[in-house]
Amino acid sequence: MNLLTRLASSAALAAIMALSPLAAQAADITIAIGSEPSTLDPQVRDDGGERAVNDNIYETLMARTPDGELVAGLAATPPTQVDPKTWEFKLRPDIKFHNGEAFNADAVVNSVKRVIDPALKSEQAAYFGTITGAEKVDDLTVRITTSGPDPILPSRMYWMKMIPASYSADAKFAEAPVGTGPYKFASWNRGQDLVLEKNADYWGAPASIDKVTFRFVGESGTRLSGLMAGELDVITNLLPEFAQQAPKFAAVSGMETSVIVLSADNEATKDVRVREAMNLAIDRQALAESLFGGYASPAKGQLVNPKAFGYNKSLPEYKHDLEKAKALVKEAGAEGRTVQLVGEAGRWLKDRELIEAVGAYWTEAGLKVDIKIEDFSEYLNQLFDKNKRPDAIFVSNSNELLDADREMTSAYQSGASYASNSDKEMSDQISAARVETDVEKRQALYDAVTTKAYEQSYLAPLLNQQDIYGFSKRLEWQPRVDSKLLVKEMKVTE
Amino acid sequence: MGGFLLRRIGQGLLVVIGVTLIVFIATRMVGDPVKVMLPLSATDAQRAAFAHQVGLDRPIGTQFVDFVGDLTRLDFGESLWQRRPALDIVLERLPNTLKLIGAGLGLAILLSLPLGAIAALKPGGWVDRTTVFVGLFGLSLPQFWFGLLLIVFFSVTLGWLPTSGMGGAVYYILPAITLALPSLARLVMLVRSSMIDELNQQYVRTARAKGLRFPRVVLVHAMRNTLVPFVTLAGWELISALAGYTVVVETVFAWPGLGLTAMQAIQKSDLFLLQAIVFTVAVLIVVINVGLDIVYKLIDPRIRLA
Amino acid sequence: MAIPMPVTTPAAILRNAGRGPTMLKRLGELGRELWQDKLGTLGFAIIVGLLLMAIFAPLLAPYDPAAQSVVSRLKPPAWLPKGSWEHVLGTDHLGRDVLSRVIYGARASLLVGVVVVLAAGTFGVVVGLWAGFKGGRTDAILMRIVDVQVAFPGLLLILLIISVIGPSMMTMIIVLAVTNWMVYARVVRGIVLSVRQTPYVEAAEMIGCRTSRVVFRHILPNLSSPLLTLGILEFTNIVLAEAALSFLGLGVQPPATSWGLDVANGRDYIFIAWWLITFPGLSIAITVLAVNLFASWVRVTTDPQEREKRYAYQRAKAAARGRRQSPANSEGGSA
Repeated sequence: MNLLTRLASSAALAAIMALSPLAAQAADITIAIGSEPSTLDPQVRDDGGERAVNDNIYETLMARTPDGELVAGLAATPPTQVDPKTWEFKLRPDIKFHNGEAFNADAVVNSVKRVIDPALKSEQAAYFGTITGAEKVDDLTVRITTSGPDPILPSRMYWMKMIPASYSADAKFAEAPVGTGPYKFASWNRGQDLVLEKNADYWGAPASIDKVTFRFVGESGTRLSGLMAGELDVITNLLPEFAQQAPKFAAVSGMETSVIVLSADNEATKDVRVREAMNLAIDRQALAESLFGGYASPAKGQLVNPKAFGYNKSLPEYKHDLEKAKALVKEAGAEGRTVQLVGEAGRWLKDRELIEAVGAYWTEAGLKVDIKIEDFSEYLNQLFDKNKRPDAIFVSNSNELLDADREMTSAYQSGASYASNSDKEMSDQISAARVETDVEKRQALYDAVTTKAYEQSYLAPLLNQQDIYGFSKRLEWQPRVDSKLLVKEMKVTE
Repeated sequence: MGGFLLRRIGQGLLVVIGVTLIVFIATRMVGDPVKVMLPLSATDAQRAAFAHQVGLDRPIGTQFVDFVGDLTRLDFGESLWQRRPALDIVLERLPNTLKLIGAGLGLAILLSLPLGAIAALKPGGWVDRTTVFVGLFGLSLPQFWFGLLLIVFFSVTLGWLPTSGMGGAVYYILPAITLALPSLARLVMLVRSSMIDELNQQYVRTARAKGLRFPRVVLVHAMRNTLVPFVTLAGWELISALAGYTVVVETVFAWPGLGLTAMQAIQKSDLFLLQAIVFTVAVLIVVINVGLDIVYKLIDPRIRLA
Repeated sequence: MAIPMPVTTPAAILRNAGRGPTMLKRLGELGRELWQDKLGTLGFAIIVGLLLMAIFAPLLAPYDPAAQSVVSRLKPPAWLPKGSWEHVLGTDHLGRDVLSRVIYGARASLLVGVVVVLAAGTFGVVVGLWAGFKGGRTDAILMRIVDVQVAFPGLLLILLIISVIGPSMMTMIIVLAVTNWMVYARVVRGIVLSVRQTPYVEAAEMIGCRTSRVVFRHILPNLSSPLLTLGILEFTNIVLAEAALSFLGLGVQPPATSWGLDVANGRDYIFIAWWLITFPGLSIAITVLAVNLFASWVRVTTDPQEREKRYAYQRAKAAARGRRQSPANSEGGSA
């Protein structure tokens, strides 16, 4: 091809593109995600970009319905317990990886062993901390062993992607992934886009979309422009203000819950009446309406995600009652007492606004509030400082495994992460729940913990946030509570 | 010429050494890379392990020797963000930045010569006044703002051009215009004023008196003499674009070049990647500087290169 | 203005400082000359306005620029259907008053611009004087440092340093000053070298004048006009750099305000609230444009050659106008 024809053809191409900028084919869609995958190895990083793509390529033994219910995925049925430390999974037969390798017990054993191998230095290790190994019983039966009784193991297996036994050792594994999922990897133009194609041989219900292109757009404003200009079909993290602006949108209860951890030991907030007043002073409904345009709901007296196992259904929300809060503050002799409220800005949606609004409510209740918005590293220093707890500190908790153990460890259990109480009894209950495999007993333990924390106002849970997605006119999809972008559940109407 | 080149390369080495020193001092002595790069939820043990793994627990002198040693072997360490050699990422993104600079600066150069020349033919005329005014605007509009306005107008309101990202030719239009704007303004002003000066020179009058046609005089004589300052300024534009002035444009248009990567590295606290970007660009600038000096010499033999 | 007047440069004014009436007269002349250049006058007026706005921001701004109000978020400017005169330029996504933020934003731009130009300028001038005077090895070393630093990947290095130290207004000022002094050093050194070769300075040095006297008596006056022009132009660069860094999130940090920061904040809302990026962005553009207009007047005024050109041009224009009207007016036309 000589230079002239090359020039001519590229000019023609440009002209075509200019005429119909990026108008995709009927069953091809484009999804914008906030960050590019750092790798396509599904077991190494804890990376939202990687997950968004690989959730469509790989599958897990356990899966969740769009509403969050745990069901069998690649496993034929939910696992059974052989003994307190061993779980047995039966696998679905006749499933193949995209490269033709069989999905069988060897693949499962390899997946488990690889991700827990310290040499891999997987960032997902935290999700699989209790798993000690896996062994093949027969071609379609695998036993997974844990270091102690682990009631959350089925949930953990919803997080562990199943990789092929031999190809995963290939050097190209991190760039050209091969899974069992409804979509196959097609191409990855680093920095620009990543394309997946429908897996015609998928074992489950066939997907309707033929080709999906992921684009990496960090700025939410830019994502919205792309959606409005018709370049994109799905965007994530739509700001509440824009919900009405987007051609179509959907909101679903999300995984983030914001909370203010109150110190039960510090002089200023030692009195439970003060802490209760702090909880009652906050008008959560107003915050949800004004800051999140209604796309958030007041937390029901606990940090545990409403969709998670261990959620205490009987707890009410701390009802906004300014007069009672004022009275409590007065009763405790805390009028005009200075309370420190530590926070950060920019990490979570509307964080600064929430913190400042809460500070204003507390001031109304008669306290003097010293709001300290720190830069993120200093903020984290204070959040994790075991010796010197702030009077009150803001944090937003996300629960991927949808199990209360996450919230218990982070905000309830004394000394485990960022809890600000030194309640020995509660801490023991949490430790007991962690190894309690009897579902009902475990729920009872969590109910006890959350009830006590509610009465003691150890925490001021704020809002359960909703994830808001923007869609193009032609796209139809019901977003999932686990925030996964499963293309197989999407449809285009044209 | 040989001696000159050697001197220039020596000076380039000094630049690289200077950048090395600054990066080392900034990252190892002023700031604490372990603190910057690990999430703050990391435990002390994890911190110590990381420090040991990347050799940050050794005496500062040893660290410096290793640092320089790694650089000479082009080993910038592994990007924490992507878990692969930082240099690989840099080399992957560099072409995108070069393409953007090529399009933007190419546009500025191609437009500035005729615009400046036309303006100079009739100083004070309407073309001239418009050029001067547009030039002033080009120097005054903040690039990030101009880029956003272009997106709102051409992509969202009119729907003609893509809002962001990289792809076929249409993707280049808005970022290139945004990048070109200030350069175009400076270049146009330069061409205009130096052409006005040249056209007032005795030799132009002489040539015209001798009967040469005006366009020929303009094109052949005045233009050639304008070329030296023009190439100097264009070279400077090229270097300053490389030196990081594409960061803003790349951020606004989500253009996957080095500038956007640098911003992402900052967000992900990936100091090794940022370091690799800074060094690669420093070396590139040194090389381009030497190249430009040679070009000056070629277009104007009068220049004594010292 | 009928009589060709002697070249008055700001340098000459400085030289005459202290001779009261003369100085006032010269200032008056300069003022009249500025008035002739309509665009220059406009630029100057805007600069004065901006300075006043920055200084008296607390008096002018109707609200605290950081005061949030969840009930009045994203209100459009007053003249739009849903706007109200309570918030003339509307409010942002946190309910902060855009007008107040624009007024306060002038502080960040001007403060950073002035401080950086003064700091970098002072340091650069000292280095330039030193290099120019000492000559020899000192000169070679200093100028080598200048050359080397000019070839640094400037903005990328700034990003690296800020990301390690942590962004703040102070960090930004220091980093910008450290990366922008070289141009002053070069200019000053060049002038020192050329001035020292003039017979009168050579003579002064021969008869044993103290260096300080030579510098203050002979060199500084020659430096002031080019430095003034350079400083003004650099000022525009710094204002744009401050805006860009703040836009990238590496400059002024909230709750402080800056125009660049506000454009970044408004960026997510361009579809429903165009006023969020428009007013701060326009403020940056107007500031820089005004300074540029004023700078081009200063440049012409301080350059004798350019002044002659301008003078001739004005005479020609006046003459042309005079011919068209009545001959009697020809002299008055240009006054």
